Amino acid sequence: MGKPGGLDYRPESKWERVQEVSGDKMNEANKTPACDKHEALIAYLYKEATPDEARRFETHLHDCAACRQELAGFERVREQLQQWQVVDLPIVRVVADPQTARRSFLAVLKELFTVMPIWVKAASVAAMALIILALTGTSVSLGRDGFSFSARMIGSQSTVDPSAPVASPQARFVNDEQLAQLRANLATLVSQKIAESEQQQKEALKAELVSLQSELHNMRSADLAKIVARVQEHQSRLQTIERDLDRREGSDLTDILFSEMMTRPHRQTSNTPGGGD
Amino acid sequence: MDLSDTQLIERTLGGEPDAFNMLVRRWERQIYGLTLRMLGRDEEARDATQETFLSAYRNLSKFRGEAKFSSWIYRIALNICNTRLRGRARNIISLDEQREASGFELAADTEDLGNHIQQEQVTRAVRRALQGLPAEMRQVIVMKEYEGLKFSEIADILGLPVSTVKTRMYTGLSELRKRLEHLREAM
Repeated sequence: MGKPGGLDYRPESKWERVQEVSGDKMNEANKTPACDKHEALIAYLYKEATPDEARRFETHLHDCAACRQELAGFERVREQLQQWQVVDLPIVRVVADPQTARRSFLAVLKELFTVMPIWVKAASVAAMALIILALTGTSVSLGRDGFSFSARMIGSQSTVDPSAPVASPQARFVNDEQLAQLRANLATLVSQKIAESEQQQKEALKAELVSLQSELHNMRSADLAKIVARVQEHQSRLQTIERDLDRREGSDLTDILFSEMMTRPHRQTSNTPGGGD
Repeated sequence: MDLSDTQLIERTLGGEPDAFNMLVRRWERQIYGLTLRMLGRDEEARDATQETFLSAYRNLSKFRGEAKFSSWIYRIALNICNTRLRGRARNIISLDEQREASGFELAADTEDLGNHIQQEQVTRAVRRALQGLPAEMRQVIVMKEYEGLKFSEIADILGLPVSTVKTRMYTGLSELRKRLEHLREAM
Protein backbone atom coordinates (compact mmCIF):
# COMPACT_ATOMS: atom_id res chain seq x y z
CA MET A 1 0.00 0.00 0.00
CA GLY A 2 1.68 3.11 -1.18
CA LYS A 3 1.90 6.13 1.05
CA PRO A 4 2.69 9.56 -0.22
CA GLY A 5 6.22 10.57 0.42
CA GLY A 6 7.23 13.86 1.91
CA LEU A 7 4.38 15.44 3.78
CA ASP A 8 2.37 13.15 5.96
CA TYR A 9 -0.90 14.53 7.22
CA ARG A 10 -2.24 11.33 8.71
CA PRO A 11 -3.45 11.67 12.29
CA GLU A 12 -1.50 9.70 14.86
CA SER A 13 -4.40 7.73 16.29
CA LYS A 14 -8.03 6.80 15.70
CA TRP A 15 -9.14 9.31 18.29
CA GLU A 16 -7.32 12.10 16.59
CA ARG A 17 -9.06 11.10 13.39
CA VAL A 18 -12.41 11.26 15.11
CA GLN A 19 -11.59 14.73 16.36
CA GLU A 20 -10.63 15.68 12.84
CA VAL A 21 -14.04 14.75 11.41
CA SER A 22 -15.59 18.06 12.20
CA GLY A 23 -12.59 19.75 10.64
CA ASP A 24 -13.01 17.72 7.45
CA LYS A 25 -16.58 18.81 7.05
CA MET A 26 -15.72 22.40 7.71
CA ASN A 27 -12.86 22.46 5.24
CA GLU A 28 -14.88 20.75 2.54
CA ALA A 29 -17.29 23.63 2.78
CA ASN A 30 -14.40 26.10 2.47
CA LYS A 31 -12.81 24.27 -0.46
CA THR A 32 -12.36 26.57 -3.40
CA PRO A 33 -13.85 25.33 -6.65
CA ALA A 34 -10.72 26.58 -8.42
CA CYS A 35 -8.67 23.73 -6.94
CA ASP A 36 -8.67 21.09 -9.63
CA LYS A 37 -5.59 19.16 -8.69
CA HIS A 38 -7.47 15.87 -8.66
CA GLU A 39 -5.14 13.96 -10.92
CA ALA A 40 -2.06 15.31 -9.17
CA LEU A 41 -3.54 14.39 -5.82
CA ILE A 42 -4.29 10.85 -6.95
CA ALA A 43 -0.84 10.41 -8.48
CA TYR A 44 0.74 11.74 -5.27
CA LEU A 45 -1.47 9.52 -3.08
CA TYR A 46 -0.39 6.38 -4.93
CA LYS A 47 3.25 7.42 -5.35
CA GLU A 48 3.00 7.54 -9.09
CA ALA A 49 3.94 11.17 -9.42
CA THR A 50 7.36 11.98 -10.80
CA PRO A 51 9.72 13.66 -8.32
CA ASP A 52 9.05 17.01 -9.98
CA GLU A 53 5.26 16.53 -9.86
CA ALA A 54 5.46 15.42 -6.23
CA ARG A 55 7.49 18.50 -5.28
CA ARG A 56 5.04 20.83 -6.97
CA PHE A 57 2.06 19.16 -5.35
CA GLU A 58 3.66 19.36 -1.90
CA THR A 59 4.11 23.06 -2.47
CA HIS A 60 0.43 23.26 -3.36
CA LEU A 61 -0.51 21.34 -0.24
CA HIS A 62 1.10 23.96 1.98
CA ASP A 63 -1.28 26.52 0.55
CA CYS A 64 -4.45 24.42 0.07
CA ALA A 65 -6.17 23.19 3.22
CA ALA A 66 -8.88 21.49 1.16
CA CYS A 67 -6.36 19.29 -0.64
CA ARG A 68 -4.64 18.52 2.66
CA GLN A 69 -7.89 17.36 4.18
CA GLU A 70 -8.82 15.44 1.08
CA LEU A 71 -5.46 13.67 1.01
CA ALA A 72 -5.81 12.69 4.66
CA GLY A 73 -9.39 11.53 4.04
CA PHE A 74 -8.34 9.39 1.08
CA GLU A 75 -5.58 7.79 3.10
CA ARG A 76 -8.10 6.80 5.73
CA VAL A 77 -10.35 5.34 3.04
CA ARG A 78 -7.42 3.32 1.77
CA GLU A 79 -6.78 1.97 5.24
CA GLN A 80 -10.38 0.91 5.49
CA LEU A 81 -10.30 -0.68 2.06
CA GLN A 82 -7.28 -2.75 3.06
CA GLN A 83 -9.29 -4.26 5.90
CA TRP A 84 -11.09 -6.37 3.32
CA GLN A 85 -8.69 -9.13 2.46
CA VAL A 86 -9.41 -12.38 0.67
CA VAL A 87 -9.03 -15.31 3.03
CA ASP A 88 -10.48 -18.30 1.24
CA LEU A 89 -9.21 -19.04 -2.19
CA PRO A 90 -11.40 -21.14 -4.45
CA ILE A 91 -9.98 -24.18 -6.17
CA VAL A 92 -10.04 -23.53 -9.87
CA ARG A 93 -9.37 -26.40 -12.20
CA VAL A 94 -10.12 -25.71 -15.81
CA VAL A 95 -8.24 -28.29 -17.83
CA ALA A 96 -9.36 -31.90 -17.58
CA ASP A 97 -6.70 -34.55 -17.79
CA PRO A 98 -7.11 -36.25 -21.18
CA GLN A 99 -5.92 -39.59 -19.77
CA THR A 100 -8.63 -39.48 -17.17
CA ALA A 101 -11.21 -38.56 -19.76
CA ARG A 102 -10.17 -41.46 -21.97
CA ARG A 103 -10.23 -43.91 -19.10
CA SER A 104 -13.62 -42.77 -17.96
CA PHE A 105 -15.03 -43.15 -21.47
CA LEU A 106 -13.73 -46.70 -21.68
CA ALA A 107 -15.06 -47.39 -18.23
CA VAL A 108 -18.47 -46.14 -19.28
CA LEU A 109 -18.41 -48.36 -22.38
CA LYS A 110 -17.36 -51.34 -20.32
CA GLU A 111 -20.09 -50.73 -17.79
CA LEU A 112 -22.64 -50.29 -20.55
CA PHE A 113 -21.61 -53.55 -22.16
CA THR A 114 -21.81 -55.31 -18.80
CA VAL A 115 -25.34 -54.24 -18.05
CA MET A 116 -26.83 -54.64 -21.51
CA PRO A 117 -29.05 -57.71 -22.12
CA ILE A 118 -27.65 -60.68 -23.96
CA TRP A 119 -29.68 -60.05 -27.10
CA VAL A 120 -28.25 -56.52 -27.35
CA LYS A 121 -24.78 -57.96 -26.97
CA ALA A 122 -25.54 -60.44 -29.72
CA ALA A 123 -26.90 -57.68 -31.93
CA SER A 124 -23.82 -55.57 -31.27
CA VAL A 125 -21.54 -58.43 -32.18
CA ALA A 126 -23.60 -59.07 -35.33
CA ALA A 127 -23.43 -55.40 -36.27
CA MET A 128 -19.68 -55.35 -35.73
CA ALA A 129 -19.34 -58.44 -37.85
CA LEU A 130 -21.41 -56.85 -40.60
CA ILE A 131 -19.31 -53.71 -40.50
CA ILE A 132 -16.17 -55.79 -40.78
CA LEU A 133 -17.69 -57.73 -43.64
CA ALA A 134 -18.67 -54.53 -45.37
CA LEU A 135 -15.20 -53.10 -44.90
CA THR A 136 -13.61 -56.19 -46.35
CA GLY A 137 -15.82 -55.99 -49.41
CA THR A 138 -18.08 -58.87 -48.52
CA SER A 139 -21.46 -58.81 -50.14
CA VAL A 140 -24.51 -60.56 -48.81
CA SER A 141 -27.50 -61.31 -50.95
CA LEU A 142 -30.73 -63.14 -50.47
CA GLY A 143 -31.75 -65.27 -53.40
CA ARG A 144 -33.95 -68.20 -54.14
CA ASP A 145 -31.39 -70.50 -52.56
CA GLY A 146 -31.18 -68.48 -49.40
CA PHE A 147 -28.31 -66.24 -48.34
CA SER A 148 -25.22 -66.08 -50.42
CA PHE A 149 -21.96 -64.50 -49.36
CA SER A 150 -19.11 -63.32 -51.49
CA ALA A 151 -16.02 -61.58 -50.16
CA ARG A 152 -13.07 -59.82 -51.64
CA MET A 153 -10.21 -58.13 -49.90
CA ILE A 154 -9.89 -54.36 -49.96
CA GLY A 155 -6.72 -54.54 -51.94
CA SER A 156 -8.20 -56.75 -54.62
CA GLN A 157 -10.99 -54.46 -55.61
CA SER A 158 -9.23 -53.15 -58.68
CA THR A 159 -10.79 -55.72 -60.93
CA VAL A 160 -12.55 -53.05 -62.91
CA ASP A 161 -11.10 -52.49 -66.31
CA PRO A 162 -9.62 -48.98 -66.33
CA SER A 163 -10.51 -48.67 -69.95
CA ALA A 164 -14.15 -49.47 -69.30
CA PRO A 165 -16.51 -46.60 -69.91
CA VAL A 166 -17.90 -44.60 -67.05
CA ALA A 167 -21.02 -46.19 -65.64
CA SER A 168 -24.16 -44.87 -67.20
CA PRO A 169 -27.02 -43.44 -65.12
CA GLN A 170 -28.86 -46.67 -65.74
CA ALA A 171 -25.99 -48.63 -64.28
CA ARG A 172 -25.94 -46.25 -61.35
CA PHE A 173 -29.64 -46.92 -60.84
CA VAL A 174 -28.98 -50.61 -60.82
CA ASN A 175 -26.25 -50.11 -58.24
CA ASP A 176 -28.64 -48.17 -56.06
CA GLU A 177 -31.14 -50.96 -56.31
CA GLN A 178 -28.50 -53.44 -55.33
CA LEU A 179 -27.53 -51.22 -52.47
CA ALA A 180 -31.13 -51.04 -51.31
CA GLN A 181 -31.35 -54.81 -51.64
CA LEU A 182 -28.16 -55.20 -49.63
CA ARG A 183 -29.50 -52.90 -46.95
CA ALA A 184 -32.71 -54.87 -46.79
CA ASN A 185 -30.72 -58.09 -46.59
CA LEU A 186 -28.60 -56.68 -43.84
CA ALA A 187 -31.68 -55.58 -41.92
CA THR A 188 -33.18 -59.03 -42.37
CA LEU A 189 -29.97 -60.65 -41.26
CA VAL A 190 -29.76 -58.48 -38.16
CA SER A 191 -33.39 -59.24 -37.34
CA GLN A 192 -32.75 -62.90 -37.90
CA LYS A 193 -29.70 -62.83 -35.65
CA ILE A 194 -31.65 -61.11 -32.96
CA ALA A 195 -34.48 -63.64 -33.32
CA GLU A 196 -31.96 -66.49 -33.21
CA SER A 197 -30.38 -65.02 -30.13
CA GLU A 198 -33.73 -64.68 -28.43
CA GLN A 199 -34.68 -68.21 -29.46
CA GLN A 200 -31.40 -69.55 -28.12
CA GLN A 201 -31.96 -67.69 -24.92
CA LYS A 202 -35.46 -69.12 -24.60
CA GLU A 203 -34.22 -72.63 -25.33
CA ALA A 204 -31.47 -72.30 -22.82
CA LEU A 205 -33.95 -71.14 -20.23
CA LYS A 206 -36.31 -73.98 -21.10
CA ALA A 207 -33.51 -76.54 -20.86
CA GLU A 208 -32.48 -75.14 -17.54
CA LEU A 209 -36.08 -75.32 -16.33
CA VAL A 210 -36.41 -78.94 -17.46
CA SER A 211 -33.17 -79.79 -15.76
CA LEU A 212 -34.36 -78.19 -12.56
CA GLN A 213 -37.67 -80.03 -12.76
CA SER A 214 -35.90 -83.34 -13.32
CA GLU A 215 -33.59 -82.69 -10.44
CA LEU A 216 -36.52 -81.82 -8.22
CA HIS A 217 -38.37 -84.95 -9.31
CA ASN A 218 -35.35 -87.13 -8.56
CA MET A 219 -34.94 -85.53 -5.20
CA ARG A 220 -38.60 -86.05 -4.46
CA SER A 221 -38.47 -89.71 -5.53
CA ALA A 222 -35.42 -90.34 -3.40
CA ASP A 223 -37.09 -88.77 -0.41
CA LEU A 224 -40.23 -90.80 -0.97
CA ALA A 225 -38.20 -93.98 -1.25
CA LYS A 226 -36.50 -93.20 2.00
CA ILE A 227 -39.81 -92.52 3.65
CA VAL A 228 -41.29 -95.78 2.33
CA ALA A 229 -38.26 -97.69 3.53
CA ARG A 230 -38.56 -96.17 6.95
CA VAL A 231 -42.27 -96.87 7.09
CA GLN A 232 -41.63 -100.46 6.11
CA GLU A 233 -38.94 -100.73 8.70
CA HIS A 234 -41.24 -99.37 11.35
CA GLN A 235 -43.99 -101.73 10.26
CA SER A 236 -41.59 -104.65 10.50
CA ARG A 237 -40.56 -103.59 13.95
CA LEU A 238 -44.18 -103.28 14.99
CA GLN A 239 -44.93 -106.76 13.71
CA THR A 240 -41.97 -108.12 15.64
CA ILE A 241 -43.15 -106.39 18.77
CA GLU A 242 -46.67 -107.71 18.27
CA ARG A 243 -45.34 -111.22 17.82
CA ASP A 244 -43.30 -110.93 20.95
CA LEU A 245 -46.30 -109.67 22.79
CA ASP A 246 -48.43 -112.50 21.48
CA ARG A 247 -45.78 -115.00 22.49
CA ARG A 248 -45.59 -113.56 25.92
CA GLU A 249 -49.34 -113.51 26.26
CA GLY A 250 -49.49 -117.11 24.98
CA SER A 251 -46.95 -118.41 27.54
CA ASP A 252 -48.77 -116.78 30.37
CA LEU A 253 -51.99 -118.42 29.35
CA THR A 254 -50.22 -121.75 29.13
CA ASP A 255 -48.82 -121.23 32.54
CA ILE A 256 -52.27 -120.45 33.82
CA LEU A 257 -53.76 -123.44 32.12
CA PHE A 258 -50.91 -125.66 33.34
CA SER A 259 -51.32 -124.49 36.87
CA GLU A 260 -55.04 -125.08 36.63
CA MET A 261 -54.44 -128.55 35.31
CA MET A 262 -52.06 -129.23 38.13
CA THR A 263 -54.55 -128.19 40.74
CA ARG A 264 -57.65 -129.81 39.20
CA PRO A 265 -56.61 -133.62 39.68
CA HIS A 266 -55.70 -132.91 43.26
CA ARG A 267 -59.15 -131.65 43.91
CA GLN A 268 -60.66 -134.60 42.03
CA THR A 269 -58.74 -137.21 44.08
CA SER A 270 -59.57 -135.63 47.36
CA ASN A 271 -63.24 -135.59 46.59
CA THR A 272 -63.48 -139.21 45.35
CA PRO A 273 -64.97 -141.69 48.05
CA GLY A 274 -62.74 -144.60 48.90
CA GLY A 275 -59.76 -142.80 47.42
CA GLY A 276 -56.80 -141.54 49.43
CA ASP A 277 -53.38 -142.71 50.50
CA MET B 1 13.08 -22.17 -12.81
CA ASP B 2 9.70 -20.52 -13.16
CA LEU B 3 8.42 -20.24 -16.67
CA SER B 4 7.02 -16.94 -17.84
CA ASP B 5 3.37 -16.51 -18.68
CA THR B 6 4.22 -16.44 -22.37
CA GLN B 7 6.17 -19.68 -22.15
CA LEU B 8 3.31 -21.37 -20.32
CA ILE B 9 0.89 -20.19 -22.98
CA GLU B 10 3.13 -21.56 -25.70
CA ARG B 11 3.34 -24.91 -23.94
CA THR B 12 -0.42 -25.01 -23.47
CA LEU B 13 -0.95 -24.34 -27.14
CA GLY B 14 1.65 -27.00 -27.85
CA GLY B 15 -0.51 -29.61 -26.14
CA GLU B 16 0.52 -29.47 -22.49
CA PRO B 17 -2.64 -28.85 -20.45
CA ASP B 18 -0.63 -28.83 -17.21
CA ALA B 19 1.02 -25.64 -18.35
CA PHE B 20 -2.32 -23.89 -18.26
CA ASN B 21 -2.97 -25.27 -14.80
CA MET B 22 0.23 -23.54 -13.75
CA LEU B 23 -1.10 -20.31 -15.19
CA VAL B 24 -4.32 -20.81 -13.25
CA ARG B 25 -2.46 -21.38 -10.01
CA ARG B 26 -0.39 -18.31 -10.66
CA TRP B 27 -3.31 -15.98 -11.29
CA GLU B 28 -6.32 -17.46 -9.52
CA ARG B 29 -5.82 -15.45 -6.34
CA GLN B 30 -5.69 -12.15 -8.18
CA ILE B 31 -8.63 -12.98 -10.39
CA TYR B 32 -10.72 -14.22 -7.50
CA GLY B 33 -9.86 -11.08 -5.54
CA LEU B 34 -10.93 -8.96 -8.46
CA THR B 35 -14.20 -10.78 -9.06
CA LEU B 36 -15.03 -10.92 -5.37
CA ARG B 37 -14.58 -7.19 -4.94
CA MET B 38 -16.40 -6.43 -8.12
CA LEU B 39 -19.34 -8.71 -7.45
CA GLY B 40 -19.35 -8.71 -3.66
CA ARG B 41 -20.66 -12.26 -3.40
CA ASP B 42 -18.43 -15.23 -2.73
CA GLU B 43 -20.29 -17.82 -4.74
CA GLU B 44 -20.71 -15.56 -7.71
CA ALA B 45 -17.05 -14.61 -7.54
CA ARG B 46 -16.05 -18.27 -7.60
CA ASP B 47 -18.22 -18.86 -10.64
CA ALA B 48 -16.85 -15.77 -12.35
CA THR B 49 -13.27 -16.89 -11.63
CA GLN B 50 -13.97 -20.29 -13.11
CA GLU B 51 -15.63 -18.70 -16.09
CA THR B 52 -12.69 -16.37 -16.58
CA PHE B 53 -10.12 -19.13 -16.79
CA LEU B 54 -12.37 -21.26 -18.93
CA SER B 55 -12.83 -18.39 -21.35
CA ALA B 56 -9.11 -17.73 -21.33
CA TYR B 57 -8.38 -21.36 -22.10
CA ARG B 58 -10.83 -21.45 -24.96
CA ASN B 59 -9.52 -18.24 -26.44
CA LEU B 60 -5.86 -18.78 -25.73
CA SER B 61 -5.02 -19.06 -29.39
CA LYS B 62 -6.34 -15.51 -29.85
CA PHE B 63 -3.99 -14.11 -27.24
CA ARG B 64 -1.39 -11.90 -28.78
CA GLY B 65 1.94 -11.65 -27.08
CA GLU B 66 1.96 -7.90 -27.56
CA ALA B 67 -0.04 -7.41 -24.37
CA LYS B 68 0.71 -8.91 -20.98
CA PHE B 69 -1.21 -12.03 -20.06
CA SER B 70 -2.24 -10.37 -16.81
CA SER B 71 -3.85 -7.46 -18.66
CA TRP B 72 -5.61 -9.86 -20.98
CA ILE B 73 -7.03 -12.06 -18.24
CA TYR B 74 -8.00 -9.07 -16.11
CA ARG B 75 -9.93 -7.76 -19.08
CA ILE B 76 -11.72 -11.08 -19.47
CA ALA B 77 -12.56 -11.14 -15.77
CA LEU B 78 -13.86 -7.57 -15.84
CA ASN B 79 -16.01 -8.29 -18.87
CA ILE B 80 -17.49 -11.29 -17.11
CA CYS B 81 -18.12 -9.23 -13.98
CA ASN B 82 -19.70 -6.42 -15.96
CA THR B 83 -21.97 -8.87 -17.76
CA ARG B 84 -23.09 -10.24 -14.43
CA LEU B 85 -23.52 -6.78 -12.95
CA ARG B 86 -25.65 -5.65 -15.86
CA GLY B 87 -27.98 -8.46 -14.94
CA ARG B 88 -28.58 -6.88 -11.60
CA ALA B 89 -30.54 -3.76 -11.01
CA ARG B 90 -28.16 -0.93 -10.25
CA ASN B 91 -28.65 -0.21 -6.62
CA ILE B 92 -26.66 2.57 -5.01
CA ILE B 93 -27.36 2.22 -1.35
CA SER B 94 -27.97 5.28 0.73
CA LEU B 95 -26.07 5.82 3.94
CA ASP B 96 -29.18 5.23 6.03
CA GLU B 97 -29.82 1.96 4.23
CA GLN B 98 -26.21 0.97 4.81
CA ARG B 99 -26.53 1.65 8.50
CA GLU B 100 -29.69 -0.41 8.71
CA ALA B 101 -28.38 -3.28 6.64
CA SER B 102 -24.91 -3.43 8.14
CA GLY B 103 -26.21 -3.53 11.67
CA PHE B 104 -24.47 -0.43 12.95
CA GLU B 105 -26.35 0.94 15.92
CA LEU B 106 -24.61 4.23 16.25
CA ALA B 107 -27.08 5.70 18.70
CA ALA B 108 -27.07 2.74 21.04
CA ASP B 109 -23.75 3.02 22.84
CA THR B 110 -21.71 5.53 20.96
CA GLU B 111 -19.06 5.84 23.65
CA ASP B 112 -17.87 2.26 23.41
CA LEU B 113 -18.63 1.70 19.80
CA GLY B 114 -15.09 2.45 18.68
CA ASN B 115 -13.81 -0.41 20.78
CA HIS B 116 -16.47 -2.86 19.75
CA ILE B 117 -16.46 -2.60 16.01
CA GLN B 118 -14.83 -5.75 14.87
CA GLN B 119 -12.84 -6.48 11.80
CA GLU B 120 -15.78 -8.30 10.32
CA GLN B 121 -17.99 -5.27 10.59
CA VAL B 122 -15.39 -3.06 8.96
CA THR B 123 -15.02 -5.53 6.15
CA ARG B 124 -18.75 -5.70 5.70
CA ALA B 125 -19.06 -1.94 5.62
CA VAL B 126 -16.26 -1.65 3.07
CA ARG B 127 -17.83 -4.36 0.97
CA ARG B 128 -21.17 -2.66 0.97
CA ALA B 129 -19.67 0.74 0.28
CA LEU B 130 -17.79 -0.64 -2.70
CA GLN B 131 -20.87 -2.39 -4.01
CA GLY B 132 -22.71 0.90 -3.86
CA LEU B 133 -20.29 2.48 -6.33
CA PRO B 134 -20.91 2.46 -10.06
CA ALA B 135 -18.98 -0.37 -11.71
CA GLU B 136 -16.68 1.91 -13.69
CA MET B 137 -15.39 3.49 -10.49
CA ARG B 138 -15.32 0.25 -8.56
CA GLN B 139 -13.19 -1.59 -11.08
CA VAL B 140 -10.57 1.17 -11.05
CA ILE B 141 -10.43 1.20 -7.26
CA VAL B 142 -10.27 -2.59 -7.05
CA MET B 143 -7.48 -2.86 -9.59
CA LYS B 144 -5.51 -0.10 -7.95
CA GLU B 145 -6.07 -0.87 -4.29
CA TYR B 146 -6.20 -4.64 -4.29
CA GLU B 147 -4.34 -5.68 -7.41
CA GLY B 148 -1.69 -2.98 -7.11
CA LEU B 149 -1.72 -2.15 -10.80
CA LYS B 150 -0.28 1.08 -12.09
CA PHE B 151 -2.62 3.65 -13.58
CA SER B 152 -1.09 3.04 -16.99
CA GLU B 153 -1.82 -0.70 -16.68
CA ILE B 154 -5.41 -0.04 -15.63
CA ALA B 155 -5.76 2.33 -18.55
CA ASP B 156 -4.42 -0.37 -20.85
CA ILE B 157 -6.82 -2.98 -19.53
CA LEU B 158 -9.83 -0.69 -19.77
CA GLY B 159 -8.78 0.96 -22.97
CA LEU B 160 -9.03 4.41 -21.43
CA PRO B 161 -6.67 7.38 -21.12
CA VAL B 162 -4.68 7.50 -17.89
CA SER B 163 -6.25 10.84 -16.99
CA THR B 164 -9.73 9.27 -17.16
CA VAL B 165 -8.60 6.46 -14.89
CA LYS B 166 -7.26 8.94 -12.35
CA THR B 167 -10.45 10.97 -12.48
CA ARG B 168 -12.52 7.87 -11.87
CA MET B 169 -10.22 6.99 -9.01
CA TYR B 170 -10.67 10.42 -7.49
CA THR B 171 -14.44 10.33 -7.86
CA GLY B 172 -14.64 6.82 -6.51
CA LEU B 173 -12.52 7.59 -3.46
CA SER B 174 -14.58 10.72 -2.76
CA GLU B 175 -17.74 8.66 -2.90
CA LEU B 176 -16.28 5.98 -0.68
CA ARG B 177 -15.13 8.61 1.77
CA LYS B 178 -18.70 9.80 2.14
CA ARG B 179 -20.05 6.28 2.42
CA LEU B 180 -17.55 5.23 5.04
CA GLU B 181 -17.94 8.41 7.01
CA HIS B 182 -20.13 6.78 9.64
CA LEU B 183 -17.59 4.03 10.12
CA ARG B 184 -14.83 6.51 10.67
CA GLU B 185 -16.97 8.39 13.12
CA ALA B 186 -17.61 5.18 14.97
CA MET B 187 -13.89 4.42 15.20
